[in-house]
Amino acid sequence: MPEKSFEVFPRSPKKTYGLMELVKGTSSSVEKEPEDTIFSWPHLFYIEFLVVLGVTALLLFLSLYVQAPLEEEASRDTTPNPMKAPWYFLGLQELLVFFDPWIAGVGIPVLIIIGLMLIPFLDINSKGKGYYTFSERKFAISSYSFGMALWFVFIVIGVWFRGLDWNWYWPWENGHMHKPVVAGLGDLPVMLSRVLGISAFAGNAIADLLMLAYFAIGLIIPAYLFKDFLKKLGLFRYIATMSLFLMMVGIPIKVALRLVFSIKYAIITPWFKI
Amino acid sequence: MSNLWKKISDGFTSSPVYKAIFRHGYDDTPRTRALTTFSNVLYHLHPVKTRRESIKIRYTWCMGGTSLLLFAILTVTGVLLMFYYVPDARRAYNDIKDIMTVVSFGPTFRNVHRLAAHGMVFTVWVHMTRVFLTGAYKPPREFNWIVGVLLLALTLLLSWTGYLLPWDQLALWAITVGTKMAAATPLFGVEGPFGAQLGMRPDNDVKFMLLGGTEVGQNALLRFYVLHCVVLPLLVVVFLAVHFWRVRKDGFSGPL
Amino acid sequence: MNNNGDEQITRRDFFSIVGWGGMAATLGGSAFSFYKFYFPNVLYESQKVFKIGKPSDYPMGLSEKWKKERQIWVVRNEGGLYAMISICRHLGCTPNWFDDKKKFLCPCHGSIYDIAGNVLGGPAPKLLWRAAIKIDPVDGQIIVDFNHRQDPDPISTENGLMVEEASREVEPFFLKV
Repeated sequence: MPEKSFEVFPRSPKKTYGLMELVKGTSSSVEKEPEDTIFSWPHLFYIEFLVVLGVTALLLFLSLYVQAPLEEEASRDTTPNPMKAPWYFLGLQELLVFFDPWIAGVGIPVLIIIGLMLIPFLDINSKGKGYYTFSERKFAISSYSFGMALWFVFIVIGVWFRGLDWNWYWPWENGHMHKPVVAGLGDLPVMLSRVLGISAFAGNAIADLLMLAYFAIGLIIPAYLFKDFLKKLGLFRYIATMSLFLMMVGIPIKVALRLVFSIKYAIITPWFKI
Repeated sequence: MSNLWKKISDGFTSSPVYKAIFRHGYDDTPRTRALTTFSNVLYHLHPVKTRRESIKIRYTWCMGGTSLLLFAILTVTGVLLMFYYVPDARRAYNDIKDIMTVVSFGPTFRNVHRLAAHGMVFTVWVHMTRVFLTGAYKPPREFNWIVGVLLLALTLLLSWTGYLLPWDQLALWAITVGTKMAAATPLFGVEGPFGAQLGMRPDNDVKFMLLGGTEVGQNALLRFYVLHCVVLPLLVVVFLAVHFWRVRKDGFSGPL
Repeated sequence: MNNNGDEQITRRDFFSIVGWGGMAATLGGSAFSFYKFYFPNVLYESQKVFKIGKPSDYPMGLSEKWKKERQIWVVRNEGGLYAMISICRHLGCTPNWFDDKKKFLCPCHGSIYDIAGNVLGGPAPKLLWRAAIKIDPVDGQIIVDFNHRQDPDPISTENGLMVEEASREVEPFFLKV
């Protein structure tokens, strides 16, 4: 708020339009030469015009060679094999192999959207604003890149490496031959109780504890190793950041559990399974 | 000859009709350059003067503007396609077949519409990455980042709702799978955790609300059509307005 | 509230409460009407109770005769007949039957079922549904009630999600014919 407002340009009754008002306050152009700015017309507009021309030409050119697909008319009795979603959802479709639909189809997308929205409030590092830098915000850039990479790795797998019955097909394999059926996925609690020779209840309890331990360790160890990080963020922000981060890292961990140990569910409750 | 041309063009630019529309001449003065920007409804989204750094492609990647352009192209081609397409489960597929075979330039407009849609998902995503990498979401631009995330979600929803309209196998099964996921929503879906306990049934849960029925049928097609052509584009326009307005208010993030 | 400890509602408070209350009620009412409007009360979908012919039409094994029209398979085993719904329990695709492997494979995410509907592999969280069936006493045809489904809670085993077959072969989901 200006301490005291005064008229820089006394309003003339003949004028109908005032270009600007001056107010006291901080502004990004303080102590900067006015020559830092250039007229939008024509310097900005000609760039925009060229982009419009270029993109339109590219689209028209591509439209000659890339035909929009139209398959057979919708029919409920046969599902195309493999059934693939549009490419930008193939990452989620790939996750559906490893997670129940409520996690892969609802939980993870909602968490991604909420997580993205929270970024400005969790990342309070004031450095790295307005220029490209890695060294000044290592954690922020690496976790964003990790998430992005994960998203696009799953998309690439979905687009190029999934074939009949959603099995893995290398590009040089015959995509029209069905692969042998691989059955037999286990659940971690069941496996634990069998291997350790304990009751089903104890197996369940150990699996639940392992899950808790993952989050507990993930929260406590970095707090000890990077005391500054915790101090800067504050406890609440730290827990929110690390929980989101651990959930993101948990996704490839679950995928690995499935691929290496054939584990379908890591924890089982009467209401939901993860 | 050139004299005659000059006479004609001068006569044109000094005519009352021209002056009523453009209101200023075209002499190369700072005043005219400023007037060009702020006396034009489209151009005045921009500031009269822009930071030298903020128009560098190597900083901006020009992805936000390209997204807007693709949205505009999608609107135009989408409206054109609407002239030949009826969201009736019995004829929707044949309408698309017609567009691809007997409508003049039908394949062109459908191909451009599809490519621009895929492109828009991509450019919005890259734009977000650019904004992240330059820290342009940091104060005072937190709110605009949130609006941007909403626009990303709306872009994906627009793409997804458009997927059902051709009513082919691809469409039906993508939407069957997508809405079955809605049925798995915790609390609100019949197959989600705690859904059945809360009294959700196939004919009253969130999937039923989305499809207007228990299966992907005529009601679902009409709902997705209305969402795709009216509701979601309107929402995008509203959020775009907020997005651009905030860009102007918060200023350019780059080097000063 | 008055500062002098008097809990009396002033005229201003009263109108404020009535005004804001009325506003909230109006907004709530219109939100409810918006919400309710999305749920159709009359549906024009395909029939959910239908006849599929006589039990003698179905030999041993699996019949795909009604898959296209009605989304069910009819299975005859040693004990009798049941009608299994051809909707994958993962995300609603239609699994394909492979007679050589005696298994259902879902093309969407690779769920595997045996002929009884048990999950042998893949992401499916539950067993295939079986629909309620009974014999029409008049013409002897089987009547299927598509929306009345058997959905038992499976047990995790080493081979996948299982339910004891005997517990599924009960009325009204099984015909001992």
